[in-house]
Amino acid sequence: MFRGILEGMRQTLRSFFEKPVTIQYPEQKRPVRARFKGRHVLKRYENGLEKCIGCALCAAACPADAIFVEAAENTDERRFSPGERYASTYEINMLRCIYCGFCEDACPTEAIVLGDNYELSFMDRAASIYTKDMLLEPVPAVDKLTPQSTPPGVFTRSVPEMKDPED
Amino acid sequence: MEKQDSNGKFIVPIGPQHPALKEPGHFEFAVEGEIVTGAAVRLGYVHRGIEKGAEARNWTQNIYLLERVCGICSHIHATAYTLGVEKLANVVAPPRAQAIRTLVAELERIHSHLLWLGVAAHEGGFDTLFMFSWRDRETVMDLLEMITGNRVHYSTNILGGVKIDLDDEKITAIRKGLDFLEERTHHYLKVINTDETFLGRTRDVGTMSRQQAEELGAVGPTARASGVPRDLRVEAPYAGYHEFPVRLITATEGDLHARFVVRMNECLDCYRVIREILDRLPGGELATRVPRRIPEGETISRVEAPRGELVYFIKSTGGDKPDRIKVRTPSLCNWGTVTSVAVGHKLADMPMLLAGIDPCFSCNDRMVRVNRPDQSQTWSWENLRQYGIEYYR
Ligand code: SF4
Ligand code: SF4
Repeated sequence: MFRGILEGMRQTLRSFFEKPVTIQYPEQKRPVRARFKGRHVLKRYENGLEKCIGCALCAAACPADAIFVEAAENTDERRFSPGERYASTYEINMLRCIYCGFCEDACPTEAIVLGDNYELSFMDRAASIYTKDMLLEPVPAVDKLTPQSTPPGVFTRSVPEMKDPED
Repeated sequence: MEKQDSNGKFIVPIGPQHPALKEPGHFEFAVEGEIVTGAAVRLGYVHRGIEKGAEARNWTQNIYLLERVCGICSHIHATAYTLGVEKLANVVAPPRAQAIRTLVAELERIHSHLLWLGVAAHEGGFDTLFMFSWRDRETVMDLLEMITGNRVHYSTNILGGVKIDLDDEKITAIRKGLDFLEERTHHYLKVINTDETFLGRTRDVGTMSRQQAEELGAVGPTARASGVPRDLRVEAPYAGYHEFPVRLITATEGDLHARFVVRMNECLDCYRVIREILDRLPGGELATRVPRRIPEGETISRVEAPRGELVYFIKSTGGDKPDRIKVRTPSLCNWGTVTSVAVGHKLADMPMLLAGIDPCFSCNDRMVRVNRPDQSQTWSWENLRQYGIEYYR
C-alpha cells in the first residue's frame, strides 16, 4: 500500500519534469501531415489561369453531393482557364462535405485539392457554402488575376499534359 | 432485445443521454437494493439510414459512405465492402494492396483497443490510466494521419486496391511508433494485472462462461476472453492475413479482467504482425482495374473488426449501384451478453460492464425492432419521409 503511493508520487514527479504532450491551441498549432485532407483549394497555373475547367466531374463523383459547378464559355478576351470552358459558379457545402478526397481523385486537371486548413466554423448554415472566390488560391500578382486577355490559339488544351502524379 | 420481467420492481432508467457512455443508448435496470435483477437495452437513437443511402450511390461512392458507419473502426468497414465487391467483380487486389490494407487495419485495431482501454478505465474511475492510454493513442493516430491523411476516416481503400503507398521514411516512422507503443502496452499489462484497486473492479466481475458466450453469440475479444476460439483472421483469413498470420489470443476466465488482458495481448500481436508486414512488404502494383458495373450476384463478406466479426451482405443486379447492402456490426451481437451477465451485479458495476464489450452505438443502429406491444409501430417510407420534412421545416 505504502509502496504503491510512493510509486505513484514518483510517476507524478517524473511527469512534472517531462515535456508536456498537450499544446496551447489556438496560440500554438500542430502542423498537419502532407496527406491531410482539409478545406479545399482551387489551384491556378503559374500564369494565373484557373486550373478548373468546369467539367463537374468532381460534383458527379462526390459521395455527399456537396459540390455544385456551373460552366461558362471562355473567350480569348476574357479567359479564366485554358480550353473552352471555365467554372462560372463553383460552390462546396462544407457541412455536407465528408472530406473524403474523392473530388481530388476525380479532377482531370488537378484543380481541386484538399488543403491543410481545418479551422472551419460558421455562424449559420448559409455561411457553410464556400463560393469560388473563397476557394480559389490567391494570385501572386495583380496582373495574374482572371479573367485575362490572351493571344488566340495558345490555350486550346483544357487538360494539360501531365507527368505521373505523385502522392 | 427481450425485456426481462421486472413486475413490481424498482427500475432505474439510464439514458439515452447519460453521463457514463458518450453515445446514446437507453438501459433499464431492475434493481433490488443495489443488486441488478434484470436488464434491458433499447437502441436505435443514432439510426442514420446508411443502408438505404448506399442504394442511391455508385459502387465507389459507397466506400466513403460505408467507411462512415463507424468513427473508430472505419477502415474495416471499407475493407469488408471492397472485398465483397471485388469478389462479385471477380478481381483480386494485388499483394501490395492487400498488405497495406492489413497494415492499416492492424493500426486501427491498436487505436481502437487503446481507446477502449481508456474508456473502460474511465468507467472504472481510473482516470489516470485513461489519460495515459489516450496520450499514447495519439502516437498511432499520428501514424495513421501520416500514412493516410486522416486521423479516423482513412479513405485507404479503392475498389481493386488501395490509394496510398508506403516509403522508407514512413516505414521508419511506423517502426519507431510501434517500439514506443509496445513498451507502453507492457506497462499497461502490468498495471491491469497488479493494481489492487483496478483488480477489485474487474476480477470476477461480469464473468461469462464459454458456454454462455457461445449461446449468446458473442463475438470478438468479448468471446475470446471467455475462451471461445473465434477470430476470422485465423479461421477464414482475408486480405493479407494468409501471408501474415495472426495469433489467436484467448483467455479462460471470462471476466472483465480477462477482456482487458485479451485486448492488450492483441495489441502486442498487432505490433508483431505490422513489423512482419513492414519487413516483407510485397512490391508491385497498388490497384487493379474494376469495372464500373459490377456483375449480377450476391455475396457475404466477413472480416474481423476490432470489436468482432463484421458481416456485409452485398447484392448487385449488374448496375453501377448496389441493389442492397446489409451491415451486421459486432456490437449488436454482444448486447445479449450484457443484459444476461448484468443480473446479480451491483448497479455500480454497470458502466464497466457496458464498456466491457466495447459498444459502438452508431455502428449497431441500423434497424431495430422494439418489442414493446404498446409502443412499437411500423412506419412506411412515405410516412417517414413526411415526418422528416415536417421535422426539419
Ligand atoms: S472531399 Fe469528398 S465529400 Fe468533400 S467535396 Fe470532395 S468528394 Fe465531396
Ligand atoms: S474542380 Fe476539376 S473536376 Fe471539378 S469542375 Fe473543376 S476541373 Fe472539373
